[in-house]
Amino acid sequence: MFLAWNEMKNNKLRFMLIVGVLTLVSYLVFFLSGLANGLESLNKEAVLKWDADGIILTEESDVNLPQSSLKLDDYDGHGTDEYAVLGQMNAIATSGELKSNVSIFGIKNDEFIMPDVIEGEAFTDTGEVIADDSLKEEGFEIGDELELSATDETLIITGFTEDAKFNAAPVLYGSLETLEQLRMNSTVNGFVIRTDNLDDVPVSEKLQVIPTQTFIENMPGYSEQSLTLAFMIYFLFIISAVILAIFLYVLTIQKISIFGVMKAQGISSGYLAKSVVAQTFLLALAGVIIGLALTITTGFFLPAAVPVAFNALDLFIYGIVLVLVSVLGALFSVQTIVKIDPLKAIGG
Amino acid sequence: MALIQLKNVNKVFPTGKAEIQALKPTNFTGEAGELIAIIGPSGSGKSTFLTIAGGLQTPTNGEVIINGKDITELKEKQRAKIRLEEIGFVLQSSNLVPFLSVQQQMKLLDQVKKNNLSPEKREQVYLSLGIQELMTSFPSELSGGQRQRVAIAKALYTDPSIILADEPTASLDSERAFEVMEMLRKVTTDNKKTTIVVTHDTRLIDYCDKVYRITDGTLHQEMASLTS
Repeated sequence: MFLAWNEMKNNKLRFMLIVGVLTLVSYLVFFLSGLANGLESLNKEAVLKWDADGIILTEESDVNLPQSSLKLDDYDGHGTDEYAVLGQMNAIATSGELKSNVSIFGIKNDEFIMPDVIEGEAFTDTGEVIADDSLKEEGFEIGDELELSATDETLIITGFTEDAKFNAAPVLYGSLETLEQLRMNSTVNGFVIRTDNLDDVPVSEKLQVIPTQTFIENMPGYSEQSLTLAFMIYFLFIISAVILAIFLYVLTIQKISIFGVMKAQGISSGYLAKSVVAQTFLLALAGVIIGLALTITTGFFLPAAVPVAFNALDLFIYGIVLVLVSVLGALFSVQTIVKIDPLKAIGG
Repeated sequence: MALIQLKNVNKVFPTGKAEIQALKPTNFTGEAGELIAIIGPSGSGKSTFLTIAGGLQTPTNGEVIINGKDITELKEKQRAKIRLEEIGFVLQSSNLVPFLSVQQQMKLLDQVKKNNLSPEKREQVYLSLGIQELMTSFPSELSGGQRQRVAIAKALYTDPSIILADEPTASLDSERAFEVMEMLRKVTTDNKKTTIVVTHDTRLIDYCDKVYRITDGTLHQEMASLTS
C-alpha cells in the first residue's frame, strides 16, 4: 500500500484521469441500475402491491392478463387463504387537454387487492374510479370526468392511490360493474390468490395457477427490457475491468525498469504485485464512491417523469462488483510484474 | 573474513549450435573491508561477473558463496531474499524510485525488510554521505552526484555485507566521480563491507584495494592490494 499510495500522491493528474474514467463507468452502471429498477417498477408496482402469491388465468391466455377471459363462477376460492376477482382493460383516458394511457382494473372493493386511498374517496358507484397519483402529477384532478377511447362511457375520479402502475400505465381502480359497463360483458380476466402452496390450488383444466413472479416476467416486454438493461450493466462491468486493465498495464510497462531494479534489490514480485492490486483497489473504490455520489446527486434533480428508482442494495452490490472486476483487470499487470527479469532491467 | 567467494564459476550462453563462454572458470574472494575494482572493456564479461556475484543469475558451473552461504542452487525467491539482506546494489543509472522522495526510498526498504540500519547508524550514513538535507527531495530534483550519494545510502540502508556497484560513476564528471569513489571507500572501510566496483574507468582504481581485469571472460588480478 505504501508504494501504491505514494505513487498516486506524486502522480495526481495521471491517477485522477483513471479515477475519472472509473467514475463515469460507475455513474453509468448506477444510473442504468436505477433506470432498470424504475422501469421494472412501472410494469409491476400495482401487482407487487397486491402482495399476492399467484394469479389464476386461462390456459389459452399464455400468461397474458388481457387475453385471459373467465366467468366469475369459474373459481370459488377453494385451496386459497384469500382470493380476489380481477378484470382489466387498457384505454386512453382524456380530460380536456389531458390525455393518458391507462389500465383499468375492475375489482370488488371488499377484497384484498383494493388499494388504499391517499386522497379523496374510494369508488362506490358504477363509473367511479380511484386513480394512480401519477395522473395527478400529469394534471388530472378529483372530480375530473374521463372520456375513454373505444367506448362512449365516462369515468369520474373520486380519489387517488399510490404506486399503482401496470405495464407502465397508471391504473384506474373501479368496480366490476364499472368494467362490465365499459366492456359490455360480464367476464373477468383472473383471480388473484394468496396461499402457502400454489400447487394445492385445484383449478379446472382450462385454468392455470401462475406464481406472481412468473406473471410479472411474462408481461409484454418486461423480460426483454430487464434483460437488455442487465446486459448493458454486465457489459459495463467488463468494460470497466478492461479499461482499468489497459491503464494499469500501460503504467506497468512504463515502470518495468524501475520494477526490475527493485527486484534486483531483493524486493519480491509478491510485494510489487500487492502494490498494484492495492493501487487498483484504491482507484476503483474512489471511482465507485464518486460515481455513487454523482448518481445520488443526479437523483435529486431528475424530473418525476424519468423512471429512475435507486435500490440501495443493488447500488452496494454493483459497487462491490465494479471494484472486484477492476482488481481482476489488474491481474494482467501482476503477470507482467512476475515476468520482469531484474537482470535485463539493470542491463546485465 | 571472506564475505563473497566465487569458486570455479563459469557462464556459458548457448546460441544455436555454438556456445559463448561469457565467463571462463573463475575464482574470486572478497574480504570484509575490501574495495575491489573489476575493469575491462565492454563485452568482456564484467556485467556477467557482477550479476552472478549478486545472485541475479546462476552460473553454469561452480559455486557462489555469500557470507558463508552457497546460493548457487537457490531458487529466485530465495536469491531475492539473499539480495535484500546481504547485497546492496549501486547501479549505473540511478536505482531510485522516481515517485518516492529520498526519505520514502528508505521507508520502502523498511517495508520490505525489517532490521535495517539502526537509527543512529542511519543518521551517521546520511551525515557521512551528506544527504540529510536531501531527504524530502525527489530523484528528479537531485543532481547526478546527489542521486548516486542517495543510491549508495540506499544500498547501505539494509546493512548488507556486500556492495556491488555497476559503473557507479558513469554519468558523473570527474570531480563527482571521485567524490562517489571516496564515499564508497569510506563506507567499505568504516562498515567492514566488501565493495565490488565494475568500471571501465581506470582513474578510479587508486581508491581500490584490489584490481581485477577481465578480458574475454577471463578474470585475473592486475595488482596487489594498494593498502598492503
